[in-house]
Amino acid sequence: MTIAISMVRRTPFFGKMFNVDTSTGLEEINAWPALMIMASFIWLAVSLLLGIALPATQILELDSSLFYTAMTAHGAAMAFPFIFQLMVGVGLHRIGGCVGKPVTGILVPGFFWFMNIGGILFTIAILMGLKISYAVMYPLPVVGIQTGQWSMTSLIIGFSGIALILVSVIVLYPVQIIKMLFFDKQREELLLSPRSLKDPGMLGMAMAAFVLLIMGAPLLTVASAVLLYLYNILPFAWIAWAADPTVFQFVFYIFAHNLMEAMAIMIISAVYATLPLYLADGTRKLYSDRIASLALWILLVTSVTSFFHHFFTMYPALPSALAYHGNIMSYGTAIGAALTIFTISATIWKHGIRAEPGLMAVLMGFVLYILDGASAIITSNISWSFQLHGTMWQAGHTMAVLVAVSMMWIGVLIHHYPVITGRVIDKASGNWFVTLYTIGAIGAGTAFLAAGAAGMPRRFASWNQEGWMVYGYLILIFGIILTLSFVVLFINLNKSKEVASAVPSGPSSMPAE
Amino acid sequence: MQEFIYQSGWGAFTVLLLMQIPFILFFLFVVFRQGSKKPSPSPTIDTSITRLKNIWMVAVVTIFVVINVVSIKYFPSVVEAQAEASGLEIHPVNVTAESWSYDISQTEFKVGQTVRFTAKSTDTVHGFGLYHPTGKILFTMMLIPGIGDASLVHTFKDSGTYKIRCLEYCGASHHEMSDELVVTASSN
Repeated sequence: MTIAISMVRRTPFFGKMFNVDTSTGLEEINAWPALMIMASFIWLAVSLLLGIALPATQILELDSSLFYTAMTAHGAAMAFPFIFQLMVGVGLHRIGGCVGKPVTGILVPGFFWFMNIGGILFTIAILMGLKISYAVMYPLPVVGIQTGQWSMTSLIIGFSGIALILVSVIVLYPVQIIKMLFFDKQREELLLSPRSLKDPGMLGMAMAAFVLLIMGAPLLTVASAVLLYLYNILPFAWIAWAADPTVFQFVFYIFAHNLMEAMAIMIISAVYATLPLYLADGTRKLYSDRIASLALWILLVTSVTSFFHHFFTMYPALPSALAYHGNIMSYGTAIGAALTIFTISATIWKHGIRAEPGLMAVLMGFVLYILDGASAIITSNISWSFQLHGTMWQAGHTMAVLVAVSMMWIGVLIHHYPVITGRVIDKASGNWFVTLYTIGAIGAGTAFLAAGAAGMPRRFASWNQEGWMVYGYLILIFGIILTLSFVVLFINLNKSKEVASAVPSGPSSMPAE
Repeated sequence: MQEFIYQSGWGAFTVLLLMQIPFILFFLFVVFRQGSKKPSPSPTIDTSITRLKNIWMVAVVTIFVVINVVSIKYFPSVVEAQAEASGLEIHPVNVTAESWSYDISQTEFKVGQTVRFTAKSTDTVHGFGLYHPTGKILFTMMLIPGIGDASLVHTFKDSGTYKIRCLEYCGASHHEMSDELVVTASSN
């Protein structure tokens, strides 16, 4: 805990944003989350630059290897060390305050070190030439060695990094959540806003933990077997079952798809918890907890097997029955989303809201999430999948869901920021962040989807054909707007004022949760 | 119209906008209208909201069912079954993909010819995306080595040079993995 606080304080620029408030005695729920959130923002800064580099390399007609390097590094940094780590940091702080249990022990620092060392190792491998995209595209990593695209050393370093990240995501984080929710001893002084698992604002956190643990276990098993072979610990004959491309592709998408769904369930749960705190009439209740929980259960049940939509275009190698099942289940998730739209809209309509930057970030993130959900169900229809799979539509969907989830988590972070740091951000500047982010995200997302509709392939270093470059310019312009929004946020966090000096009524105005 | 909606990327994009635009207008209206005033809870609001909930959920389910039921006739399995049932001659074309080229058993066709593309990859994951001479994507297949062949029946409707592109990232020269098919006007 002391190490975490010390590391935050010693980090230039980013450390100032998340300097932990030690006057409240809440360091046990603030220290490690603050360090994780700060680290995630450092990864974000790197991945933003890499994201801008992607269209820039195409517009400037630079070498294609630069595009593929930036593509792999951008995806790798954005998906796990930024968004997942941000989610874990804010999420653990939330749970700690809701159940009155400390965010300490072996698992918490374990997550931090595994995630960040893993991210650094993967980045080193990418710089050594390993260009496999964040989706790994197995068996490309092995084929790349056979065709002289990268070295075995880079593969071993890269896979070691990926393995550390997977352990942190699939084991350490979910087990920590389960430990806090079901086992650790509650401490009164850490209990800020009591919540039980009957509350939809907490239910989703438990659901997501079990989804990650159960749906990630097959990938962890396969990846471990492959890694043990690469380390020369096991002979190939022992791990041949795991090296089969079909096995790897299926366990990867069973995990990757459900990872996204788990992240969605977790953030929708956090939205259900945050929205009532900003209701104008002080009700502090959702329109209906029952409908909110029903939406989460529908999302959970339907999302588990909807991953088959990733394989529609293998027809007939993917049996039609599984394809139809994936199609139907994907639309089932949209039923859950429709119920969520209803609950959030009805709550706002009935009670009104105080339009603070934190809540507006949450709500605009929710808008982005639903807009992306529409693109997701379109491509989850078997007929459309044959026109859209492998195009920029898919890249746009992936980007949009991550951008939406991160916007909502940043909103939740802004809400919790005074409790973690004892400071508040500037409201006007916060609103500028939300506005720029929303414009950038919707613009970039739509440009990606239009590019996909035009047939532009994803992960493809040759945009200057068939008139596709216009989408490249649009992606660059809106990408810069998105980046600017983060510049505004970084400045705002750096200039945040102490609660006592910013709010006349003092700490009583701080969020209860 | 149905063919445009279900057989082109822009058709999908149109349906997407029809879903997105009403939602964004409605939700922003709710947020910004209710963000500027302080209402108090009212039981009469509950009754009308419950009615709206039922209408909303029935509408959502109906739209989803219609979208998916109509799409069935464009499923590859259905297109293939219809072609076989109609007694059309289906020309078999075998495609083998490897980094970064295609080996295609036949590359010249006539307008109106119905072809069954059967494709596989011998090394890593590749794609087989067929583009109309106008640049519109007609279909794509994902080829995972070892899982079995992907297969799709297609009837060429227009003459010209059709481009084939790999749509699954496969390494340093992924963007150069392409080929062409030439379709000429039928002599009849």
